[in-house]
Amino acid sequence: MKIVLKAALATGLLASPATAAELTVLTAGDQNMVDYVNEYLAPLFEEQNPGNTVRVVGTGPGDAGSQKIVERSEAQGKANAETWDYDVAVVHEKFVGPLVKAGYLEQYRDRISTGKLVTRANADMALGTDVKGYVMPMFNSQTALAYNPALVSNPPKSYEELVNWAKENPGKFGYNGIKGGASGVSFVMGWIYAFGEGDANKLMNGPFEEAETKKWDGALASLKDFTTNAQLTPGNAGTLDMLSRGEIAIGPVWVDMFYSWQANGQLPPEFKLVLPEPGMPGQPMHYVIPSKATDVKLAEKFVELATSPKVQAEGIVERFSWYPGIDAQHVQAELEPASWNKLFTDVTPEDLAKNGKPFPIAPYNSAILEAYERSVSN
Amino acid sequence: MTTRLTGLLLVLPALAMVLLFFILPLSASVIGAFEVETGFGLANFVKAFDFYSQDMLFTLVIVCLSTVLIGLLAIAIGGYLTLGENPRAVAILRNLYRWPMFIPFIVVGQVMRTFLAKNGLMNSTLAASGLIDPAQAVSLLDWRGIVIAFVWKQTPFVALLVAGSMASLDRGTIEAARNLGASRLRILVEIVVPQVARTIMVGLILSFVTMMSVLSVPLMINAQSPTMLTADIAFRINAYGDYGTANALGTISLVMSAAAALIYLRMTLRERS
Repeated sequence: MKIVLKAALATGLLASPATAAELTVLTAGDQNMVDYVNEYLAPLFEEQNPGNTVRVVGTGPGDAGSQKIVERSEAQGKANAETWDYDVAVVHEKFVGPLVKAGYLEQYRDRISTGKLVTRANADMALGTDVKGYVMPMFNSQTALAYNPALVSNPPKSYEELVNWAKENPGKFGYNGIKGGASGVSFVMGWIYAFGEGDANKLMNGPFEEAETKKWDGALASLKDFTTNAQLTPGNAGTLDMLSRGEIAIGPVWVDMFYSWQANGQLPPEFKLVLPEPGMPGQPMHYVIPSKATDVKLAEKFVELATSPKVQAEGIVERFSWYPGIDAQHVQAELEPASWNKLFTDVTPEDLAKNGKPFPIAPYNSAILEAYERSVSN
Repeated sequence: MTTRLTGLLLVLPALAMVLLFFILPLSASVIGAFEVETGFGLANFVKAFDFYSQDMLFTLVIVCLSTVLIGLLAIAIGGYLTLGENPRAVAILRNLYRWPMFIPFIVVGQVMRTFLAKNGLMNSTLAASGLIDPAQAVSLLDWRGIVIAFVWKQTPFVALLVAGSMASLDRGTIEAARNLGASRLRILVEIVVPQVARTIMVGLILSFVTMMSVLSVPLMINAQSPTMLTADIAFRINAYGDYGTANALGTISLVMSAAAALIYLRMTLRERS
């Protein structure tokens, strides 16, 4: 009996192919990020690389999810672990800088064939840190104001107009503050760009100067005043929820979430988006590979697949209505004009070029959030 | 001597557990609250008060208000179970009141969020039955929502303790009062409640401490400003990885809970002396 067992065990061990590996992908963000890998990317990768499997772990929505990935990396880095427990991670822009600075990441972009399809500036600089070569953008996202045309016939085209509109329609504007997801954070950053006394370009490009942080008092005071006429929603999804129930008429949302909710029937098809002047921020999510990944080569293959024009077209644009991570012209060629144009129904490429802004560089970013907590929410 | 040693050995595993999993993390967190870049200092507390003084007040007011309401409702339920004269109503109440106890806080948050929203179930029902005009419906998803969720969830727990203690009272005192013509309300207030006051206090203090530590309800109902300290602690850690301020906020809520415990201890001490 023992021999039979041993034999069975031995054949079992031998039967598995020598190259079989399990690729662990950590992803920050809402459940849709996990679904994207599970339902679309992983099966595709497993089909092209037989014997290998992909395991995806969601670390939670918003900055908190990326923060967990950073902490996990720090823990393993400090423990001098030989191989880390993940091979690929998807993180928010703000957290790439610290990972690169700590020396945890592999500079892999030039080694993969899709590396040269990315030329956008935000793939080289992440909120003030040079990350060239360490990241491949999974997608770009943008925030904008979503509104219910039945309640807002003439949507505000700028922050100024929004302020006046909210005064005339108290309680009809809603946003999720800064604790419930990045669409509210983005609205606050846009507010500082619009009404801060400093130079918005300096906030976006650096360098960081302490003096600059003193120039927001007026803007924050007016934001506090504005917030008394606004409703605070429980999160990114909460804003969309309240819009769909008619409890608010307008509010900042992520463009991709807006489109996918509309596609699922969770939002009425007549709802629209507007990107107000002088602009609201958007951000990419980046693929990164730790230097201590179990199998760096396989991880590179995974990212290469994920950033190939075909996958970017089918997965990123068609399925999830995200703006592509690699340069648009490579992706556009893979798609029917109709699917491509759907991305730009309300927010045109011209609007995006003019009013799609990056977030402020990391130190300003944190300083604005803290100033908000001190003067608006306390 | 050997029996003393065996005694020590026997208590050692439990003691080690308490030390390792309670005292150690707690002191690490309290010490962490005073740790700043340059050594030790009060910078974390200064920041905590600078940013969240309103939330501290808010937390205290919400939890105190909820505790008072829970106490009143628990006495009402316990009182009816003890003094009620309609056996069927008493049976129905006895079977129903405990249900919320078995529902986790996060589910309470979720239920209340859909129930209390501006166009949620409650307002829709009221509007459909013509009691309110849909235009004047208000959302209760602010401090009121948190209080409602806390009271709804914690009342059965206190009521269970209180009702048990009331049931074990000497019924002679109640019947004597009734013979002398006291109303049921008067019996409850003057005869029953004073005799079970300690049980009520224990239940309320346990509820107070539980509510201080709930994160899911404020997060789901009202994570915006002002909000409860638990939501701020989560935010400091999640968004900034700032354990210093989070520890300071944790220490502050620990002090609030400790104050409640202290009041209780002094009360029992006075009773005994």
